[in-house]
Amino acid sequence: MNNMPPLIAILIFPAGLTLIFTGMFYEWIDRKLVARFQNRVGPRWFQPFADAVKLFAKEQITPGLANPFLFFGLPIIAISGALTAALYVPLMGLAPVHSFPGDLIVTVYLLSLLTMCIGLAGWNTSSRFSLIGATRSLTQLFAYEAPFLLALLGPALAAGSWQISEVNAYAQDHWIVLSQPIGFIVALIGLMGKLELPPFDSPEAETEIVAGALTEYSGRGLAIFKIGKSIELIVGITLVSAFYLGGLDGILPYLLKTVAVLLVMTVFQSLLTRLRIDQTVGLWWRFGTILVLLQIVFMIFLRGYPL
Amino acid sequence: MNIEQNLQKAEQLLEAWKKETTHPESNRLDVSISVDDLHPAVGALHEAHWGYLSAITGLDLGAESGQLESLYHFCNGAAITTLRVRLPRTGDAALPTIEDIIPPATFFERELHEMLGFKIVGARNIDRLFISDDWPEDVYPLRADFTIDQAKPVEGRHADELPEQGVVGGNTFVVPIGPQHPALKEPGHFEFTVDGEVVTAARMRLGYAHRGIEKAAESRNWIQNLYLFERICGICSHTHAMAYSLGVEKLAQVEAPARAQAIRELVAGLERIHSHLLWLGVAAHEAGFDTLFMYSWRDRETVMNLLEQLTGNRVNYSANVLGGVKCDIGLEQAKAIKDGLNYLETRIRHYLEVVTTDTMFLNRTRGIGTISFAEAENFGLLGPTARASGLVRDVRVEAPYGAYKQFPISAVTAANGDLEARCVVRLNELLVSCFAIRTIIDNLPEGPLTVKMPRKVPAGETIARVEAPRGELFYYIKSAGGENPARVHIRTPSLCNWVSVLEKAVGRQLADVPMLIAGMDPCFSCNDRLVTVTRTGERNTWSWKQLRQYGIEYYKQ
Amino acid sequence: MRFGTMLKDIVDSFFKKSATQLYPIERTPPPKRYRGALFYDPKACTGCGLCVKDCPSKAIELVILDRAAKRFVLKYHRDRCVYCGQCVVNCKFKCMGMSNEDWEHAALKKEFMVYYGKEEDIAQFMENIATPVTGETRG
Repeated sequence: MNNMPPLIAILIFPAGLTLIFTGMFYEWIDRKLVARFQNRVGPRWFQPFADAVKLFAKEQITPGLANPFLFFGLPIIAISGALTAALYVPLMGLAPVHSFPGDLIVTVYLLSLLTMCIGLAGWNTSSRFSLIGATRSLTQLFAYEAPFLLALLGPALAAGSWQISEVNAYAQDHWIVLSQPIGFIVALIGLMGKLELPPFDSPEAETEIVAGALTEYSGRGLAIFKIGKSIELIVGITLVSAFYLGGLDGILPYLLKTVAVLLVMTVFQSLLTRLRIDQTVGLWWRFGTILVLLQIVFMIFLRGYPL
Repeated sequence: MNIEQNLQKAEQLLEAWKKETTHPESNRLDVSISVDDLHPAVGALHEAHWGYLSAITGLDLGAESGQLESLYHFCNGAAITTLRVRLPRTGDAALPTIEDIIPPATFFERELHEMLGFKIVGARNIDRLFISDDWPEDVYPLRADFTIDQAKPVEGRHADELPEQGVVGGNTFVVPIGPQHPALKEPGHFEFTVDGEVVTAARMRLGYAHRGIEKAAESRNWIQNLYLFERICGICSHTHAMAYSLGVEKLAQVEAPARAQAIRELVAGLERIHSHLLWLGVAAHEAGFDTLFMYSWRDRETVMNLLEQLTGNRVNYSANVLGGVKCDIGLEQAKAIKDGLNYLETRIRHYLEVVTTDTMFLNRTRGIGTISFAEAENFGLLGPTARASGLVRDVRVEAPYGAYKQFPISAVTAANGDLEARCVVRLNELLVSCFAIRTIIDNLPEGPLTVKMPRKVPAGETIARVEAPRGELFYYIKSAGGENPARVHIRTPSLCNWVSVLEKAVGRQLADVPMLIAGMDPCFSCNDRLVTVTRTGERNTWSWKQLRQYGIEYYKQ
Repeated sequence: MRFGTMLKDIVDSFFKKSATQLYPIERTPPPKRYRGALFYDPKACTGCGLCVKDCPSKAIELVILDRAAKRFVLKYHRDRCVYCGQCVVNCKFKCMGMSNEDWEHAALKKEFMVYYGKEEDIAQFMENIATPVTGETRG
């Protein structure tokens, strides 16, 4: 718990508005870095904000076959899931707004709620492209969920707790990336899968299915989904860096560590070709899960030896 | 076997059916046959593996003669045999189909039918290929008596007015790719029936960029047509102009000076570099490898700047004039080209390495869309798509034209026939081109740049074949002795290569489909030179299944 | 098994200037031979009309005010021109050329017609249009 009045903490800082703006800022960093790696200029700092403003100003077209309640409601549910998940992670290096034992599982599943809402939205709009995109989105969810959670489980086991703030505190004394390197790699790549970043962007492959599950969304709905995704970016990176990179105990370490993780992710984005959905699933269920299980087994054996 | 022996062999094969033979040019044999002998004659040529069917041209010989003529061009190396069939204009101009012997002929026959009104007997599918769905029936644009007020759109047949083809029961549904789709750089319509992620059926419709060019050519003079044809395509533009110039020069019995021919080959080589780098970027983008896309297009700027320095424009270079070229290569340009080539060669070798060793990219290209040698021959593929399967079909090697006799190009082939092989073939071709360009600059023949061309080209017919970056480009030019051509028929390579996509898409994942389309390097603008608009609701569109069946049966024999 | 074959490119690009040209702030001048807009020098023109005859898009019209006195006005449709350069090739007296400075053809207004010729010729031509007089035009 931190010492701010709860309402401010939830709505303004560090969650709420600050989170939304930080999310867009990190999205900008991602796009700018990818552009620089490709020898291009890249967008200016206010691009994601400008996109959001533009989308909010545009007309929202509802497809004929879509259920209007679901069509309007799903973006809201998605973003609320993401915003709620953010309450339990150490944003800005400060202690999480709220914390209770077992909140690791809750956070990860609230993030999955976002993906499931996207999948459901794709199914709901029932356009040919969004159906395929939704199917791929949910298939990918099944693929990386297990390894990602297990990868986050490693540090939790090391810390002996399912509570994020306690793992964060434990990690500040132990750099878990050194003792569980495989877990770190799996967590990082799992995060890329969760966020549907290249090479795992098959659910929204532009050259195959236009825009995947969100093809028919425009205007407000699309803006809300995009903001939800950038919040997911922040929450995911915060989790991974809190757990593996020596905990987050201040704004400066937070910024440094999260940007470092983002940098590594952008390098992967630029270097690798998109995987087909069957290759993604194959990769995860063969390598991802096995590797991380090995890591955990290895760690359990070493449990008796403090690092 | 040289050209004469080749043609003699063809004449012998057609002994039983020929009515009249002529040799309009040293490498051509024209055989007139009657319509009933067409099928066995084609069969004979095919059985003996005498060349491949390159194009089928239709002609309207005018109201006085009252006949239509259709020409079947078979090319074997540099020798061309044309089977000529004449039919009366009025009534049923019925031609037997040859698609049972040569499957790719179905495209050419559909074009004959919709443009000139030949009736193709026994065709499985005689749907419109290029002409719009709301074009009136029985109005054939390339006929001599066609007037523009005959072209009134028919109500109720526009694509928008047809019932939407939606989800078709159960798990299978149809995914439309095009006419507007991020995967396509130009409009074309593909419908893939998928079951989950696996494609079970494929259909396609072309003609979205059709502009009526063949008809338009008949009302422009020879020089104006040069620029018209140059604008058929942006990246093959020089090869179109070159083919046309070569054809008209042959008709006028002039030969462009050696220096001009060498410069033509040089610009063609630079254009090839431009085209293949563009292709590499597009293929990488379809695969999701945006970094390679951005880098190859950045390097393409180098080649475009070279072309701009040399010819004056980045696209549509207009280097050709009838009788020669417009632009000369001075010391400054030569140095700039050599420096540019040095840089490009380093980058191309780097891309070769990326394309053959990057595991993730290979995941998307190795073993996908494999076409064997026999299938390539059967489908009638051309260009790098065929060369990747080991089939050497390269006009520059088989029938060298212009300066290619002096500065030859070695053929580049690969054995596997999958997408990776196509990447490798194209990139290696670039290295060959760079070498050829350097040789040309160092050994440029002296002399004038142009030769005088008559304004009225003497009557006659000619065939010019040129190797565009996508394959063999076939120009049939007929002159009646006036200032305007009587007929120009263009067969672009992309038309022959579509089969590879539709055949190979079935059974693959949907995600591979854009790569397959990109793998044959389609050029829709080259493809659709005639009328446009297509209807998507056609139920009896091209039957890939039957085509496949023929393919299987064919090479079982 | 190689991942990241383009790593060197990526790392190099990060520290280099981007390949994008910030047009219109940075403008590279086009090369000498660039085929921009047409310009016409009436001094040597004899009114043969070859340029008009072979234009693929009917972008030039030659207005003959007085053939004997060699008074011509060239009407150039900038929007129809395809910048092929055939007119330049055809002219035996080198009256035409393609500019390599005038290449930015985006316009805010629809006035695409350009008149070339001597000042007094153009003035007379404009008068002629205003008050219709039959004049010989090749176009």
